[in-house]
Amino acid sequence: MNTVVAGITYRALLGRRRIILLLLLPLALIALAVLLRAFGAADQATTVDLMQKFAISTMLPLLGLIAGTGVIAPEIDDGTIIHLMSKPISRPVIAQTKFLVAASLLAVFGAVPTYVAGLLLIGGEDGIATGFAAGTLVAGIAYAAVFLLLGIVTRHAVTIGIIYALVWESLVGNLIPGVHKFSIQYWGQSIADQLSDSPFFKTDVALSFAIPALIVVTVGAVLLAGQRLRAFSLTGDE
Amino acid sequence: MSEIYDIGYRHYDGPRLGRAYATRALAVHSLRGVFGIGRPARSKIVPFALAAIMIMPSIVGIAMMALVKQRGIPYSGFAVVMQAVVAIFLAAQAPTVVAPDLRYRVLPLYLSRPVSITEYVGAKVAAMTVAVFALIAVPLTVTYLGELIVDMPGPPATGEYLGAVLMAFLLALLLAAFGLALASFTPRRGLGVASVITVYLLSSASVPIIYGTLYSSGNESAAAWAWLANPFWLVDSVQHWLFGTTPHSIEGAAYPSGPASAAVLVLLIAAGLAALALRYRKAAAR
Repeated sequence: MNTVVAGITYRALLGRRRIILLLLLPLALIALAVLLRAFGAADQATTVDLMQKFAISTMLPLLGLIAGTGVIAPEIDDGTIIHLMSKPISRPVIAQTKFLVAASLLAVFGAVPTYVAGLLLIGGEDGIATGFAAGTLVAGIAYAAVFLLLGIVTRHAVTIGIIYALVWESLVGNLIPGVHKFSIQYWGQSIADQLSDSPFFKTDVALSFAIPALIVVTVGAVLLAGQRLRAFSLTGDE
Repeated sequence: MSEIYDIGYRHYDGPRLGRAYATRALAVHSLRGVFGIGRPARSKIVPFALAAIMIMPSIVGIAMMALVKQRGIPYSGFAVVMQAVVAIFLAAQAPTVVAPDLRYRVLPLYLSRPVSITEYVGAKVAAMTVAVFALIAVPLTVTYLGELIVDMPGPPATGEYLGAVLMAFLLALLLAAFGLALASFTPRRGLGVASVITVYLLSSASVPIIYGTLYSSGNESAAAWAWLANPFWLVDSVQHWLFGTTPHSIEGAAYPSGPASAAVLVLLIAAGLAALALRYRKAAAR
């Protein structure tokens, strides 16, 4: 963790147009929650539906993508990463710092709005709000690590990330149930299920698989990102 | 003393091809760029992989028609069913059309030629429209040709096919205008991809929730309007009004009746083009 690198990264992410996108998604979630409440449809079934279909499976992967690739991909694109890498800071430390920045942004823009939306809808009933907040937090951290790695490995990180989140996790996951076992958002839902006892919420991934998988993916991706950055060669744009 | 300055440069006295030619050349160049033609193989992977995914349902559909005499996805519902793939294509490729010129600030170079801002934007929108249209219309046409060859019992669904192709064009125009307008707000390709897909996902993920809420609280007529917030369902509702096809919304829910959805479609296309024009008026001044 290097505070100067963290400060630069925060400024680059929050001072530009990227923050509009980071704000748009959580605001939409809270607006939907307010709408549901205003029309008196705020029961446990709709809340779980909103959390599953919007918070975890739409908002979170996109936020992960914007924050996770946003901490490093623009610098690689512009070539300014050279200035950072030529400083006497260990490259794995740079990768870890950037990961912490992305993870903290996901906690602020992903987990907190999810908790607020849950509270708005049903208060503290059956621990749904807390459960989904914890689920989005953990899954968000894993997304941050994976998309950070993707941002270092390829220049098409955002496109590949979208294809992973939309085609693999949503389309293929809905057709072939076994795919859910290899999907970050379902690991997060498994954690959420553990913390809430709502009868409307069921997940199909066991907690004993989800927790080790989350840890392995997160730690593995951050370590690999550090390794990739150590042997990084800056190539020209196509 | 003019001979001092006459150092032998020759004037160009060949044919001047004019602004129409330049605009056409720009459009063709942009269209090639969308599919990565004339660029390294890495740029071709994503567009052609998505095009391959789009053609798969029509292959399955032809096989079903040949083997069990049953139609696959109806022509009128193809774009709605495949909307995620079309949206990813739009998001991934729209920034390649507009981002590099903004990023390397070459717009003044284009504008120093006879091409004006209107023609530049027009060429870019035309290229993106043709690309999205081809993405949707080619699988439709393949299925239709397959239907003719397989010789299904009963008359071929020519009317539905032609209607679907016309709607594919309108959808392509709407998506191109909005996709390019969103992508042109940033010179970074990654951020452009993210912003287009964010807007699409906001519209596709929130519409069923809004519809369900309004419907279950007894506002059936207001609920129908929710579908118009998503471009694919909006165009499907126009198709429903124009050609009387069945709605392809989730569980076949009703659309608002009458020409209102067509008016929304026209307004949205105009809004997208206006946003692009405004954006480029500003970008050209830099």
